[in-house]
Amino acid sequence: MTRQKRSRHRLKRTVAPYLYLSPSLVIIGLLMLLPMVTVISYSFQNSAVLRRDPSFAGLKHYQAIFADPVFWASLWHTLYFTCMSVVFHMTIGMIFALMLNSDRINPTLRNILRVLYILPWLFTAVIIAVIWRLLLEPNGVVNSILMQLGLIGSKIEWFSSPETALHAVTFANIWAGYPLFMVSLLAGLQGIPKDFYEAADIDGAKAYQKLIFITIPQLMPIIISISLLDFIWTMQVFPLIWITTGGGPIYSTEVLSTYTYKLAFSSYNLSQASASAVVILLISLGLTLFYIRYQKAR
Amino acid sequence: MAEVILENICKTYGNNFRAIDRLSLSIEDGEFLILVGPSGCGKSTALRMIAGLEDITSGSLRIGGVDVVDMPPKDRDIAMVFQSYALYPHMTVFENIAFSMRLTGKPKAERKKRVDEIAKTLQLTSLLDSKPANLSGGQRQRVAMGRAMVREPAAFLMDEPLSNLDAKLRVQMRAEITSLQKQLGVTTIYVTHDQTEAMTMGDRVAVLKGGVLQQVDTPKRLYESPVNAFVAGFIGSPSMNLFEGTLTGDELTAGTFAIQLRDAAFARRPGLRSYAGRKIVFGIRPEHLYDSSLESGRKYQTIPAKVTSIEELGSEHIVHLNIDAVRVDSGDPDAVRDFGLASNAVAKFEPESAVRSGSEIRLALDDTKLHFFDPETHLAI
Repeated sequence: MTRQKRSRHRLKRTVAPYLYLSPSLVIIGLLMLLPMVTVISYSFQNSAVLRRDPSFAGLKHYQAIFADPVFWASLWHTLYFTCMSVVFHMTIGMIFALMLNSDRINPTLRNILRVLYILPWLFTAVIIAVIWRLLLEPNGVVNSILMQLGLIGSKIEWFSSPETALHAVTFANIWAGYPLFMVSLLAGLQGIPKDFYEAADIDGAKAYQKLIFITIPQLMPIIISISLLDFIWTMQVFPLIWITTGGGPIYSTEVLSTYTYKLAFSSYNLSQASASAVVILLISLGLTLFYIRYQKAR
Repeated sequence: MAEVILENICKTYGNNFRAIDRLSLSIEDGEFLILVGPSGCGKSTALRMIAGLEDITSGSLRIGGVDVVDMPPKDRDIAMVFQSYALYPHMTVFENIAFSMRLTGKPKAERKKRVDEIAKTLQLTSLLDSKPANLSGGQRQRVAMGRAMVREPAAFLMDEPLSNLDAKLRVQMRAEITSLQKQLGVTTIYVTHDQTEAMTMGDRVAVLKGGVLQQVDTPKRLYESPVNAFVAGFIGSPSMNLFEGTLTGDELTAGTFAIQLRDAAFARRPGLRSYAGRKIVFGIRPEHLYDSSLESGRKYQTIPAKVTSIEELGSEHIVHLNIDAVRVDSGDPDAVRDFGLASNAVAKFEPESAVRSGSEIRLALDDTKLHFFDPETHLAI
């Protein structure tokens, strides 16, 4: 009797945690793993989704997209867009965080700046896209200011000329994304003990030496983790580019996400779109693994 | 190496709070001076002003004959050991100690030579490649010392450097710092709230209260002749017992008992006679109260007391007592803790004492060790 009770108790104890986990596991399985597996299987089928009995295609669709110069252009644009965004998010975020953390700035002004600097974060991608489309219109505010300053001679079609479009969307994305870095770094800065700077003052450190020898090393864990996360997120950006340029003109802002979208919903080539999506998945997966390993190592 | 001279130094904050009020101190070349006082007395502020981490509102400060009031910390030729040690966690012990030399761009070979020398003095040689996180509290403390020593400053400033260590290690590091200071012969100003550190480490001790210097003297003289009731209560552990009494002729009365005073007591204090017939504050240290049933207590006069509780420490008994007299607050917030609610006096008895909690005893008291203070000003008579 008692032994039976005890073994039942033990069984309960072993099973209970899995029961608690099960709702979230089912949801993740249905909403994330299932679509992921489906997309991977589509990428190996002919006429996926469109036909009832798709035939196995092997690596045909992968060969097709790898042979497509637009795919390689998209990959390059994605990398440019992502790297520039991350680097500038970090630099601008760092500069603003240092400014907001400085006690040489009047506290009231500091609070106002804190709100102002964080504003871009409050807008959704669609609003940001619309704002920048208006600002960067050939007859928009930016051109008019630049012309009045004498920096440009004629109106520039920022989003509509192949030379400037990629830079313009990257710029808009930089503007939209730096607050995350700013907020994280500011939190990090406030966590650095004041003693470190006082000890450095006594040792005769100049401002730049304090930045190099104390601030940046102390912030390194935050810089690395936020950069990795930003890299993963920015690589998948879709709405901002879709609404500002739609990937054009002449593919000059085509990134992997718009390229995939067009394959799927303009050309209805869902098999190739899936193959392209799998490529994005693999790159993201690589970065994510790197991130997880870094987090574990800490 | 140099002398440090503070003259009428004041520190007033924006809200008109005066943290330091006309502090004048003269610390000789090679001297070990302790700044002590209860928390919030301004001792750390004073040290940070000497370091240059806090502005000096008014007054003059000279280190090695140079007026440093308007100098940044790095030009004052001082080194500071912080309470938290302020070691850089991302640097090794070597890099931490060599940091100031790295800033000034000293060549690598010179840095290594210098750090090796210091590591040898502080027994850190085997730890030079470790990060601070992997060191024990005592080792971190030594690295902090090393970082101060490497600059060969004119003066060391130490801000409660032992307060993060456990009791045993503190005793050991106390001795280490004292002998290191003697060996290096560098002027040292050491801030602490621990009066044991104050009594054992310094050549002289400066007692601060509410930003005002109370007394600066050798530990022995602070203990034997405190200038006021605050210093009397603050120096010594447990604190001195302070009571209100009335002086009538040669007799000191308080409550239901009287203590006979000898001529010597009046001879030593010419002012004492003038308090005849008036209220007076008298004090006696716990170690000058005895158990009258023991040999050591037989030769003294006794007063009645009730034992409220006993702490048996092995080498001595700390006995909390209640005597029929009004206790006087010395102004030291820590002193209240020594007494508690039920008792108003503390005595240190020999371990042979057989008194029990709750019993009525005769308390022997060495009347030559009495201290007298003015009831209004609390100044020593």
